[in-house]
Amino acid sequence: MTLGLNGYSDGGQTMDNHKGVLVCGEIADGKLAPVTIELIGLGRKLADELGEQSSVLLMGSKAGGLAQEAIAYGADNVYVAEDSLLDHYNSDAYTQIAANLCRQVLPSIMLLGHTDIGLDLAPRLNGRLGGGLAMDCIALAIDPATKLLASTRPVFGGNAHATMVSKSARPQMATIRPKTVPPAACDASRQGQVIPVEGKVDPAAIKVKVVERIKEQAEGVKLEDAEVVVSGGRGIGGSQNFAMLRDLASVLGGAVGASRPACDEGWVPARLQVGQSGKSVSPKLYIAVGLSGAMAHLAGCLGSQVIVAINKDKDANIFSVAHFGVVGDYKQILPALTAKLKELKSA
Amino acid sequence: MNTIVCVKQVLDPEIPPAKFKIDPETKQVIPPPGVPPVISVYDERAIEAACRLKDKHKGKITAISMGAEKAADVIKHAIAMGADDGFVLQDAAFENLDSFGTAYVLAKAIQKIGEYDLVLCGRQAADWGAGEVGSILAEILGIPVVTFACDIQAADTTLRVKRLVSDGFEVLEAPMPCLITVSSEIGLPRLPAGPRLMMARKKVIPVWKAQDIGAEPAKLDKANAHTEVTALSVPTRKTECEIIAGATPEEAAANLAMKLSKLI
Amino acid sequence: MSPVSATYWGIPGTIIFWVLFAIAFGVFLRRSYFLYRLLRLGKPERRSDRIGQRAIFMLSVVSSQWCALKTVGFTDLAGLGHALMFWGFGFFLIGYVIIFGVSGGLGLSLPPAFEALYRSILDIAALFVIAGVIVAVIKRYIVKPKRLEREESLKEKMIMALLFTTMIVLMALHYGTEALKYAAYHISPSPIIGGLLANSLTSAGLSPATLSAAYTAFWWINYVMLLGALVYAPHSEHLHPLFSPANIFFRPLGPKGALEPVPAEETENFGVSKLQDFTWKQLLDLYSCTWCGRCHAACPAQLSGKSLSPREIILNLKEHLLEEGPGLLNGKAEASSKLIGDVVAEDALWACTTCGACVEACAVKVEHVRRIMDLRRNLVLTQNKMPETAQLMLRNMQSRGHPWAGIQSLRLRGDWTDGLDVKVLADGDTADTLFWVGCTGALVERNVKATISMTRVLKTAGVDFAVLGEAETCCGDPARRAGYEFQFQMMAEQNIETFKSHNIKEIVTSCPHCYNTLKNEYPQYGGDFNVVHYTQFIGKLIAQGKLKLANGLNSRVTYHDPCYLGRYNGVYQEPRQILQSIPQTNLVEMARTRNKAFCCGGGGGHMWIEEQSGTTKINQMRLDDALKTGAEQVVTACPYCLQMFEEGIEHKGIKGALKVQDLAEIVEAAMQPSESKGAA
Repeated sequence: MTLGLNGYSDGGQTMDNHKGVLVCGEIADGKLAPVTIELIGLGRKLADELGEQSSVLLMGSKAGGLAQEAIAYGADNVYVAEDSLLDHYNSDAYTQIAANLCRQVLPSIMLLGHTDIGLDLAPRLNGRLGGGLAMDCIALAIDPATKLLASTRPVFGGNAHATMVSKSARPQMATIRPKTVPPAACDASRQGQVIPVEGKVDPAAIKVKVVERIKEQAEGVKLEDAEVVVSGGRGIGGSQNFAMLRDLASVLGGAVGASRPACDEGWVPARLQVGQSGKSVSPKLYIAVGLSGAMAHLAGCLGSQVIVAINKDKDANIFSVAHFGVVGDYKQILPALTAKLKELKSA
Repeated sequence: MNTIVCVKQVLDPEIPPAKFKIDPETKQVIPPPGVPPVISVYDERAIEAACRLKDKHKGKITAISMGAEKAADVIKHAIAMGADDGFVLQDAAFENLDSFGTAYVLAKAIQKIGEYDLVLCGRQAADWGAGEVGSILAEILGIPVVTFACDIQAADTTLRVKRLVSDGFEVLEAPMPCLITVSSEIGLPRLPAGPRLMMARKKVIPVWKAQDIGAEPAKLDKANAHTEVTALSVPTRKTECEIIAGATPEEAAANLAMKLSKLI
Repeated sequence: MSPVSATYWGIPGTIIFWVLFAIAFGVFLRRSYFLYRLLRLGKPERRSDRIGQRAIFMLSVVSSQWCALKTVGFTDLAGLGHALMFWGFGFFLIGYVIIFGVSGGLGLSLPPAFEALYRSILDIAALFVIAGVIVAVIKRYIVKPKRLEREESLKEKMIMALLFTTMIVLMALHYGTEALKYAAYHISPSPIIGGLLANSLTSAGLSPATLSAAYTAFWWINYVMLLGALVYAPHSEHLHPLFSPANIFFRPLGPKGALEPVPAEETENFGVSKLQDFTWKQLLDLYSCTWCGRCHAACPAQLSGKSLSPREIILNLKEHLLEEGPGLLNGKAEASSKLIGDVVAEDALWACTTCGACVEACAVKVEHVRRIMDLRRNLVLTQNKMPETAQLMLRNMQSRGHPWAGIQSLRLRGDWTDGLDVKVLADGDTADTLFWVGCTGALVERNVKATISMTRVLKTAGVDFAVLGEAETCCGDPARRAGYEFQFQMMAEQNIETFKSHNIKEIVTSCPHCYNTLKNEYPQYGGDFNVVHYTQFIGKLIAQGKLKLANGLNSRVTYHDPCYLGRYNGVYQEPRQILQSIPQTNLVEMARTRNKAFCCGGGGGHMWIEEQSGTTKINQMRLDDALKTGAEQVVTACPYCLQMFEEGIEHKGIKGALKVQDLAEIVEAAMQPSESKGAA
């Protein structure tokens, strides 16, 4: 077995021949994914600072129809890979197409959403292309002196922020969570190029096949879109106790979330996890119940407008980030809270 | 089934946030005294996944860890859970490597170990948390990769992997050999059984240096790093929390309700 | 005159006597030997040390019937009934040897005066026996106390009925035979009651021939019944009369609170999963159980509705032994039913808090707790099966060195010393006296308050002590009690090394679990230190005049005995003395107090292992005990008890009505003049 297959390079190639920004776009339900629209805007901004072009890669049979829209949002070039094998995410297929394109286009910067696709695709692409990758960035900036992309990301469960650069490795890659940057402004009059991607997906390259997709139906409001989130942590103590949180959430018209320990215990399904290894939410109101407020969890909810904490221990970290708090046993507080809110609602 | 599991020893993530300190000069974390490092939580799940496969299909599990000499503890932990043996990859040249460097070192170690059917990693390290090393390692080894696995079943020459996505699951079929990164949804890892705990404690874990695995100095040179950390800071968050009180918990709850109804 | 001297169908009575005896005794021996062989299925265990001490204890306890009398209370006179039966029957056994053996079988005539005297003793003894049986029958069939609540099988019912009936009949036969003898042969002197009965027989006008024939018949019936009882005794399942004295003889002599380590030779199957894994002593326990059910009625798990009954575990295991034993003796590889699962339920094993009330209540020294721990060890070490809450705690023990999973996001081990002027040992430091804080006292907010109080008390008394700070790791008790023995061993060895590296001589601790483990179990690993619980230490300081508790408490308080301090280590008086040395303290006792104290529910790993759902919480029951005393404050000397009471008070919403304090906090408040309160 030799190393260096599949184009793994040691990062020693020149960076001078790498120019421009490439956004790896996603298509969801036949439309441009909201995060893609946000990234096109960001890509535009970064490209302008560099004085270079901004491009988008769209994959799937709907890609062609969305190219104009991508241009309107700010792309100079839209690379379209219209292949039905790309309609649903397949790691091998997407990596093959995207990597080949990158080797042709040689972008200096590559942006992906920190989504199901981005979490899987970005590291693989990075490995294949030999660039430098920063995952889950909260801020991206071009250093005016060095012209390098400085990516800032949370580390140590969000306890610290690290800023990273790639001095020589190309492309400079970053993933960003949805709703971190504002969506791009739409200008229908913008002009740009639509370029079909050379080469189809090589079926032999698809080693891992998706056999089944199981969607879990979320009851009620979807966590990511909810205006109110009631979240439970290790202090809840058991799956049946989450019923109290569900009651409160339903009175407030919100969704239930949880910290990783509560999900790992099996008290709630994994898709309700809020945090660094789960979802990011930014509701109007975030109620943290029996949650110590470990930074890894806070990474997912600090975007909330108002944070309320209910915890037995007054030293819990959650109180240092909450706007309002009650110190006490949630088992006594939550039912009373729910009842009073119901009363005030009907009044 | 021969499985290789990559495990990392990290600073205990379970410390009070107020105790988390960094040195902005060296861009390192200063661990609070008296808190022993732990095995990265997702790597422990990877060992569990390997043990579950071994329970069903027999075979061998080898654990490797790149780190300080104390990393032998996580190898012993892996052995106590069910791994057969393991190695620590420790060298001054391995310190502060980026994801690419780390993946390279692991790949050379795996090359030295020889035959394998499956490489398992945690989905991301509990400290720097990039979630890249597994995929880069797979690219270096030239094998397919499946990420965020929450269940792995083996059948003949393929693996059936249940993968976590934001609104449910995917089920994939991957050929062996391949690399799989494991997420915590795979379930709680087993408690190391009694006799294995004592056996692992007594075991001497071999240490491999750069020359033992044939790592090229150029690839480990910091000047050739793909990414470097230029700044490390602790974000200051100051929110004044208004504690809502009451004579009884129920009264406090009612007061909170009044407060909230004005907001929403 | 002696019935034995006559000839029956040509055969001399003596021959018949001895042949019958030989047969009966032979069957008795054969069965007893079989029962002995069943015991040999168990593993060896050394219980023959200090034979003199053991013998004296057994003889004195059995003959004085202290084993039964210690159970007597206002509402429970059964022990007295048993004592009467025992003494009565004791005299009878001797009497049978004299009357049937010496005077009958051997044909030696007894001096009439001696015989009359001994028969008079028997006349009184018979009354004792009858009284005892009446008490037993009333208890068992009319009063039916909780401890006797049981689904008895038909076999068991018949055994008890037969037992009572036999005793009454034997007593009746005694009086009858005696009356007939003295009436038929006009022997003088006559026994007290026998003589009176004989007179009434004579006045009834029965002829001497009739009387004599009746006497002979009664004599043989009595003899045969006796032999029948002898044969039946080892065949029935009611084996305690035969085996419990041996059980008392072989009782454990080590410290009550110490569990034994897993033997070093064991490499595969740990703990107990089948009968042959028990030691012979543990199997002897099964024979010795008297079916009294006091363990059942004392068990906090049982009383709060859990599926655990110590009595049922013992009796089910006994049946399992008697059923499966013959097959196993014949070389059968496995029993047909599984010990853990079929005979004893897994969830019953996890419900035990190791409070020791069962062992304390047992008249014949059955060891219930040790057995449950052995079964837990098998579940955890061999089968890797345990409740998730247990697993979570044990994994945290393994990776972080303490059982409080999750608490490290709130505070670290050494944080409690922040702002306090306490000496924290660094590498190379030495200290004579170490204050061992324990995991709960260092990490859980409420308990940290008690720890701080304790340091202030020690400083005020001028004690030169040090703490380990963040270098302290768990003593290992939660791991051992949850069955995870090897983790315990590793922690013990590590801690002993730490103590030795600092040259520690004396260890004072706040936690009774730490106290028990460091004092009674660490010597198993080479750790011999002078370990003291803080109640003993403070008591000494007060006696030495180093602490003056001048501030009045002005409160009605009750003291809750922690199981690991009280029952396990006999420390009852010291905490009470401290409380009583504080002015204006009205100390009242709960109904269940001292060695009969009701567990708070926190031991045996239960600070973390969840209680069976749908049952009453044990701490609620103990809280009710405290409330019944009308006390304003509950005082305890254990961090688990403190947590359990706080949780109970919070749950019941009675924070204003009842306060729970650690004794250290009470002492701190009492020692400072009111003006300078709060000085560190």
